[in-house]
Amino acid sequence: MELFNENSKLASVIHKDHSLLPVINRLGIKLGFGDQTIRNICEEKDIDINFFVEIINVFHYEAYFPEKRLLDFSVSMVIEYLIKTHQYYVNYLIPENDRLIELFLLANPEESNENELVRKFYANFKEEFVIHISYEEREMFPYVLELNEAIKNPSFREQFRQKHPGFSISGFEKEHSNMDDKLDDLKNIIIKYLPPNYDQNRGNAFLNNLFMFEKDMKNHSRIEDHILIPKVKQLEKVLLNHE
Amino acid sequence: MNNGQTKSIVLICKSDVILTGLTEVLKGSLADEIIQLHRGDEIIDYPEMTGNILVIATTEEIEKSGGFIRQILSDTGTIQFLNIYLEANSPHPNSSVNIFDSPALICYKVNEILNSFAVIQPRDTDTELTKREIEVLKLLTKGYSNKEIADQLFVSTHTVISHRKNISEKTGIKSASGMTMYAILKKIIDVSEIDTADLI
Ligand SMILES: [Fe+2]
Ligand SMILES: [Fe+2]
Repeated sequence: MELFNENSKLASVIHKDHSLLPVINRLGIKLGFGDQTIRNICEEKDIDINFFVEIINVFHYEAYFPEKRLLDFSVSMVIEYLIKTHQYYVNYLIPENDRLIELFLLANPEESNENELVRKFYANFKEEFVIHISYEEREMFPYVLELNEAIKNPSFREQFRQKHPGFSISGFEKEHSNMDDKLDDLKNIIIKYLPPNYDQNRGNAFLNNLFMFEKDMKNHSRIEDHILIPKVKQLEKVLLNHE
Repeated sequence: MNNGQTKSIVLICKSDVILTGLTEVLKGSLADEIIQLHRGDEIIDYPEMTGNILVIATTEEIEKSGGFIRQILSDTGTIQFLNIYLEANSPHPNSSVNIFDSPALICYKVNEILNSFAVIQPRDTDTELTKREIEVLKLLTKGYSNKEIADQLFVSTHTVISHRKNISEKTGIKSASGMTMYAILKKIIDVSEIDTADLI
């Protein structure tokens, strides 16, 4: 295994794994980056080089997850990345999924019963997913950022404690396994159990998007469960020791 | 993906320093649990281990106690061995690790094995549902709980849970609403039989 590093040319990274395109967008990079290395681009755009390199490696190599090193990044940086990922889902991936599933189902109007079922199942998954991420943005992330602020800034501590008396991230933690299961089920239903008279190309297009979604979502959940949450627990301990 | 099977690592080495260091490094791996032993035969203290197990030890240790370890852990899932070399520059095959390798590389190699467990595991030879599983599936789609299904079929809740697990393994469908969809598409039940509004 050869990890990407700051001297890698970004263009060759993308040639090697184009599923990284939305990831580098999120990190603040747009197409048309010429032959620049990761270091050049990050310096130019004022992006944290280490964070950039670790994020793309963790995304590309599923087995690579240097927990210790990842725990060194600031919570605000991690949260900013997570929120950008949410925006990508809400503004692009989900609408794209909506469009592709409709194209797929509409091509086969005879199977109205089956179509209705798939539609409903997908709609339910989507609803659960949107509720999940908006909850994180409304409740969990602000709590984490306030906790972080309370540690950096002693004058803010009293206010923080009043707002969150028994402060603990465990009250905010939400499972990811239900959503993972549903997405997996949806894929299996289309791959294994749908009647064969559907339009294959449109089915493939929809499935491609689902696979992309799944890969991205798993990576995202992993960062939340194994980086964000442990980091917050560390911070909570620090604050407790200040009491 | 991992069919609910846990993944454990058993580290065997006489040196506490190496054990501690490797454990630190492997905390970044996909293992759910890491056990440290000085000698292979100490596995006798862990007869209740379940799931898939990766044993990391020197070649000599594996030769010496590999058989014994398999015997003690015979009730578990897959057991795999990974050789570890303790000297710098010692020639070692790609399928092994050396304590002088970078932590990221060690973690990567270990994760590759842990990931492969999920692939070896599924029994996809037999995907037909049994009569009993179909009965359970029908009741599930009607929204009954495990307990209610158990009462109706005169079996224990534990049995119902194990049927459910088998249904998931055979069909690849895990959620309750996914199972309902499956049952309808496979014509095991009819759409009119269920209240789609709250189930799907
Ligand atoms: Fe999230
Ligand atoms: Fe989440």
